[in-house]
Amino acid sequence: MTDYFEVHERDGAARLGELRLSSPRTTPALVDDVVEDAGSLWSADRELPEGDDAHLTVLPHRAFPGGTAPEVQESFAVDNPDVDYPSAAVVSSEYVSDQGTDAYVLSDVQSVVGHGAALVEAVVNVREAVPEDTALYLSGVATPRNVATLAYAGVDLFDASRATVKGTQGKYLTSEGEYFLEDLEELPCSCPACRTPREEFTREDCVEHNRNALEAELAVVRRRIRDGRLRDYLEGQARHDQWLTAAMRELDSQWEYLEERTPILRDAEISAATEDTLRRVEIQRYADRVTTRYQNRFSAPLVLVPCSARKPYSESQSHRQFHDAIQWRAHLVSMTSPIGVVPQELETTYPAQHYDTVVTGRWSEDEKQFVSEVLRRYLERNDYPEIVAHVPDEGYRDIVSRVEDELDLEVTYTVADHPTDDESLANLGDALAGRPAYRKREREHNTVRAIADYLLGDGAGDDLFEDITTTSRYPRIQVRDAEETQLATMVPQYGTLSFTLEGARRWVDSDAPTKRVEIDGFVPHGSVLAPGVVDADEDIRVGDEVVVEGPKAFGVGRAEMFGREMVESTRGIACEIRHVEEK
Amino acid sequence: MSQPTPDVYEQGKGMDAHNKVMREIRSRKERSYDPHEPTRVWLDEDNTPDGVKRSLTIILNTGGCRWARAGGCTMCGYVAESVEGGSVSHEALLDQIDVCLEHEAENADEPAPLIKIYTSGSFLDEREVGAVTRDAIAETFADRERMVVESLPDFVDREKLADFTDRGLETDVAIGLETATDRVRHDCVNKYFDFADFEDACEEARAAGAGVKAYLLMKPPFLTESEAVADMISSIERCADVDGCHTISMNPTNVQRYTMVDELYFSDGYRPPWLWSVAHVLRETADVDAIVVSDPVGHGSDRGPHNCKECDDLVQKAIKDFDLRQDPTVFEQVSCDCEATWEAVLEHERGYNQPLTR
Repeated sequence: MTDYFEVHERDGAARLGELRLSSPRTTPALVDDVVEDAGSLWSADRELPEGDDAHLTVLPHRAFPGGTAPEVQESFAVDNPDVDYPSAAVVSSEYVSDQGTDAYVLSDVQSVVGHGAALVEAVVNVREAVPEDTALYLSGVATPRNVATLAYAGVDLFDASRATVKGTQGKYLTSEGEYFLEDLEELPCSCPACRTPREEFTREDCVEHNRNALEAELAVVRRRIRDGRLRDYLEGQARHDQWLTAAMRELDSQWEYLEERTPILRDAEISAATEDTLRRVEIQRYADRVTTRYQNRFSAPLVLVPCSARKPYSESQSHRQFHDAIQWRAHLVSMTSPIGVVPQELETTYPAQHYDTVVTGRWSEDEKQFVSEVLRRYLERNDYPEIVAHVPDEGYRDIVSRVEDELDLEVTYTVADHPTDDESLANLGDALAGRPAYRKREREHNTVRAIADYLLGDGAGDDLFEDITTTSRYPRIQVRDAEETQLATMVPQYGTLSFTLEGARRWVDSDAPTKRVEIDGFVPHGSVLAPGVVDADEDIRVGDEVVVEGPKAFGVGRAEMFGREMVESTRGIACEIRHVEEK
Repeated sequence: MSQPTPDVYEQGKGMDAHNKVMREIRSRKERSYDPHEPTRVWLDEDNTPDGVKRSLTIILNTGGCRWARAGGCTMCGYVAESVEGGSVSHEALLDQIDVCLEHEAENADEPAPLIKIYTSGSFLDEREVGAVTRDAIAETFADRERMVVESLPDFVDREKLADFTDRGLETDVAIGLETATDRVRHDCVNKYFDFADFEDACEEARAAGAGVKAYLLMKPPFLTESEAVADMISSIERCADVDGCHTISMNPTNVQRYTMVDELYFSDGYRPPWLWSVAHVLRETADVDAIVVSDPVGHGSDRGPHNCKECDDLVQKAIKDFDLRQDPTVFEQVSCDCEATWEAVLEHERGYNQPLTR
C-alpha cells in the first residue's frame, strides 16, 4: 500500500509526484530535511522506529553497496516491517522486490551513478519491481549537472549530500559543469551565496551555492515535467557530461520501459534539434504505427511532398499551393525529419503537428536513413497506382530515389527548381491530368478510419467505422452511424478520437482491440481513482481513449496512467471520465 | 510484524555466505611461498608498558590461518600467504627464525629487546606451530625482554604461555579482536568469536602472568565513516576496561587483494577510512587506561587510509608520534581544508549512500 506518495503528472519515465507528508513536497525534490534514517543493522540492532507523518522514515536497513556478493545479499536480507507512517525500504538494484513501502532507497547508488548503462539498468530494475506509485530515492549522488538525467530516468527523491561534500572540497557546481573554486575569476551565478564578493567567497559559501544550484536545477526539472518537455531540455543539457548523454541513449534502448511510460499525446512541442530526437519514443512509436497500423484507403496516386514549418501542414502556404495543383486527385504524404512520413489523414495526429525542427536544408545521414526506412516500410504496405515525388533536391530526393531503387518502383519527379515555383506546380498538375478527384465524404471517412487505425490497431478503422456518416467541418469531424447517432468526434489538437457512449459500445462490440479499464461496483463521475481499478489492459498508455466498465457502470474516458500503473497504484487518478451511464 | 533484525549470525547463514564468497575470492590467488622464508621481517620501535622499545617484528609463515581456509575475514588478504601443502615443518619454521636473526644482525647494532611474532593465524595454535617449535623459539629469544605472539583467543592457554614467562620474558598475546561489538565482528568482519571469548583469553593470559595487546580494525566493510568511528571509540573503551589488556592497536582497514573488501572497492562500494578518523579516535580515547596506538598501512594511497592526499603524510606522522608519546596535543599541530569534507562525510554518509567520497 502506498499511502504517502502520489504521481500527479508524467513525462516519460519522469514523474511529478507528491510526497504526502504533513507538509507535502512536490517531487523530484531534495528530501534531506524530511528523511529520518532509522539506522543500519550492520552496526547495531535497531528498535522499530516510532515514525511520524512529518518524516519519511528509512526503515532499519542492511545496505549492500556495489560489489556485494549475491550470497551475502541473500543471507543478510532484511524483512521490512509493515508500518503506518511514511516509510522507505533500502534495496539493492540487483535484488529488489515490493516491500510495501512508500519509497525505495538504492543501496548501490555510488556504483551506478557515473556509468550510463549501469544507472539505467539499476533504475529500470527497481522501477519494474516496485509499484509505480512509489518514490525512488538516490542518496548522496545528485549534482546540478546530473539531476535532470536522474529524474528523467525515473528517480524522484534526492539529497544535497554530494553537493555539500563537493562544496567543502572547493568544487563549484553548475548545471553544466564543475569548477575548482580557485580557478574562477568570477562566479557564474547570482544566487544569494554568490552575491558575496569573489575575494570573500569561501568554501562554506560554495556549499551554499551548490545547494542553491541543485535546488534551482530541480525547479527547472519540475517545470519541464509539468510542460512535458524534459526530454527536449535533456537533449541539450546532458551534453555537458558524457555519461549523462550515454544514460539518455541507454534509456532509449530500454524501449519497453520508456514506451510504457510515454504518453500518446502532449500539448508540448517536440524540439527536434539533435540526432537523439530520432530515437525518442514519440518519434519511434509514430514511425512504427504509421508503417504497421495505418493503411491508405484512397485509390488515387501518391504525391510525396516536403513538410512545412507551419502545422498542420495543410494550413501552410506551400501546402496550399500543392493542394491547388492537386485538387484532391492524389493522396498527399509529407516527408519530414524527424517524423518520417505523414499521410494527410494523420497531419494533426501527435506528434505530426507538434514538433519543430532545425531548418538548414542539410540532412544528416542518420536522418536520411531514418526517413527512407520509414518510407520504404510505408510503401511496402501501401500500394499506389502511381507515385509522384514533388520534392526538392536537398535530402528529400535522395531519400525517394533510394527507396525507388530498393523497391524497384517507378517515381515521377515533378520539381524543377523549387516545389512552389510555377514550373514545378505545373508539372505536378500535369502529372495528375485526367485523374478523378475523390469526394469530401471519402476524405473525411478515410480520415477518421486512419486515426482509428493509428490509435487502436491495424484494421480498426474498418472494424469500427464500416458504415458511417460524417458531419461538421474538418478537422472537427463528427462520426455518426447510419441512424445519425454520434459515435465519436475528431480532436483536432492531437488528431485523436473521443468516443460517445454509443461509440464506445460499438468499439467494445467490434473486432478492434479495446482498451478496457475494469472498475469496482460504483458509478464514476469526473475521474476514476486508482484504488477503484480492478484490472486494465496492459497496452493502455497515458492519453489513450479507454472504455471503463464495472458491475454498475459503463463509460468512456481518457487514461491518465498507463495500464499496469492503474492496476498497481493505490493512489492517484487512473482516468478521466467523459461519459458514463449507470447499468 | 516480521522481525526487522533477524540475527543472521545466530542462524549461521551470514557466516556461511561470507565464507562461501571469501573461499571463492581466495581461490583466484595462485601464488605459493617458500616455507623456509618468513613472510616479512622488519625493525621498528614500539610503545610498551615499560616504555618505547626497539623491536624486531616477524611475520612467520606457518601455512596460514585455519579460519581463512574456511573462508575467513572479509578484509584479510594474508591468508593467501600460505605454503603448498598447508603446513610448515619444525625445521622450516626454525629456518625462518634464522633468516630473521640474520636480518636483525645485518641491520641493527644490537639485539632488539622486543620480539613480536605474527603468523597471519595463531602462533599458539599447535596445528600451526607445534609445542616443540614453540619451545625452541622461546629458547631462541629467552635473552630478550619482551615477546609478543599473535593468537586467536581460543588458543590462549596459560601452559603454552609458560614457555615464555618461565624464561623470564615479559609476554603479551596479540589478539585480533577487530571490534568489541560482536555484531560488527560477526557480520562485517566475519570473525567467529565473541567479546566474551576475548575477556576469557585476557583472564587466561593474566593467570600466566602475561598481558594482552588487542588489535582493532577501523572501518570493516558495510560501516559508514561515522559508524566506524563510533565503533572504534566504544571498542577502545571496552578493551581498556578488561584486566590484562594493557595495549590496544587500532588499525585502519586497507584494501588487500583477494578479499571481499577488494571486491567492494573495485565496484565503488568501499572507501578506506580517513586518517582524520584515526586521529579523532586516538584523541577521543587518549585518557583510557591503556596504551592506544595505530599503525596505518598504505596511508595516502587509494587502497589505504587517506585524507585529501595533501595532508596524508603529516597526519600519518602525527599518528606515529602519538603512538610513542601518547600525547593528544600532537594532533593540534596538523590541520587541512579537507577536515571540512571529512566532517561533512561523518554527517551525511549513510549505509545507503556510501562511500560518499573517494
